[in-house]
Amino acid sequence: MAHQAHAYHMVDPSPWPLTGAISALLMTSGLATTFHYKTTTLLFLGTTLLLLTMFQWWRDIIRESTFQGHHTTSVQKGHGYGMVLFITSEVFFFIGFFWAFYHSSLAPAIELGGLWPPTGITPLDPFEVPLLNTAVLLASGVTVTWAHHSIIEGARKPALQSLTLTVLLGLYFTALQAMEYYEAPFTLADGVYGCTFFVATGFHGLHVIIGTTFLMVCLLRHTHYHFTSKHHFGFEAAAWYWHFVDVVWLFLYISIYWWGS
Amino acid sequence: MYYRLNGVTQRLIGAPAAAYSPQGLCPGVPPVSPPVIFASPTKLASETGSQAEYLRANRIPDLQKLFQRADGIPVHLKGGLIDKLLYRTTMGLTVGGAFYCLVALYIAAQPGNK
Repeated sequence: MAHQAHAYHMVDPSPWPLTGAISALLMTSGLATTFHYKTTTLLFLGTTLLLLTMFQWWRDIIRESTFQGHHTTSVQKGHGYGMVLFITSEVFFFIGFFWAFYHSSLAPAIELGGLWPPTGITPLDPFEVPLLNTAVLLASGVTVTWAHHSIIEGARKPALQSLTLTVLLGLYFTALQAMEYYEAPFTLADGVYGCTFFVATGFHGLHVIIGTTFLMVCLLRHTHYHFTSKHHFGFEAAAWYWHFVDVVWLFLYISIYWWGS
Repeated sequence: MYYRLNGVTQRLIGAPAAAYSPQGLCPGVPPVSPPVIFASPTKLASETGSQAEYLRANRIPDLQKLFQRADGIPVHLKGGLIDKLLYRTTMGLTVGGAFYCLVALYIAAQPGNK
């Protein structure tokens, strides 16, 4: 079927980059109009368009790889580099929030009482739910590795079980964290403590949700026989992302929950 | 004859014709170990050999045939009617949304319209 003398993938023309870019325009201007005029139409439209774009774009990539065979070793290697670079950019994103936290907490301002946690703030006990959350994510790191080995060995049932378990642990983390957010004695508006806490853990929670979704898609694909023991880069990318999410949590736990209490 | 670039020596080296074989075109049989005796399938094995049809049937060979049809249709429309409907909906929202956005920004830019 090959009409090309190279191992790379020249994709068919696709409308999804355009629709994705427009969805970004609609979401940003929608945010502005929501703030100023309280009308959420543009924002809602932009979000819908984003979801449609993501669904169809990634559906097409699955078609190009699993059904059309375009993802040679060279192509996979490029995807590997891409995923590593993307995760690196996310690491830098979080470095910014850790910088903000340490800036405010290492030399607490006189307005905070000159101490950290600031006067009036009751931090969460790091050895209660946050410790459970740490155990949950570490366990999910084990189960996703178990899933990977199962896929490599061609063991279908253990792969499906361990991948399901990983997804469940991810959902459990999100549920626990949501409950913590609800029960917390301080809010986002409680000065720089509340701000650094909720922005850092909030963005982390968003990444947990993204990672869980990615793993769910992998689970669905594995039930549909998309992955082979030698070729399952989508799963590997999801696993890398999940480990990244786990490591960010460990830094959050040590810095904000434990040292910062 | 296909050529590969050796990343170390920066030279092209010839590879036998089998060097380029799309890895997506794996044989329809997924490499699953045969089921243990107490988990034997209740229905006859299909042409996928001794694989137990766990959870669902393997439709990959059919999908590979569908998406490799040489009909010139781009991949985002190759799945049939539902692709076309989804594409048109998305494009409609894109174009309509872009216009709506420009109008909203124009109105927002008018002085006194806060």
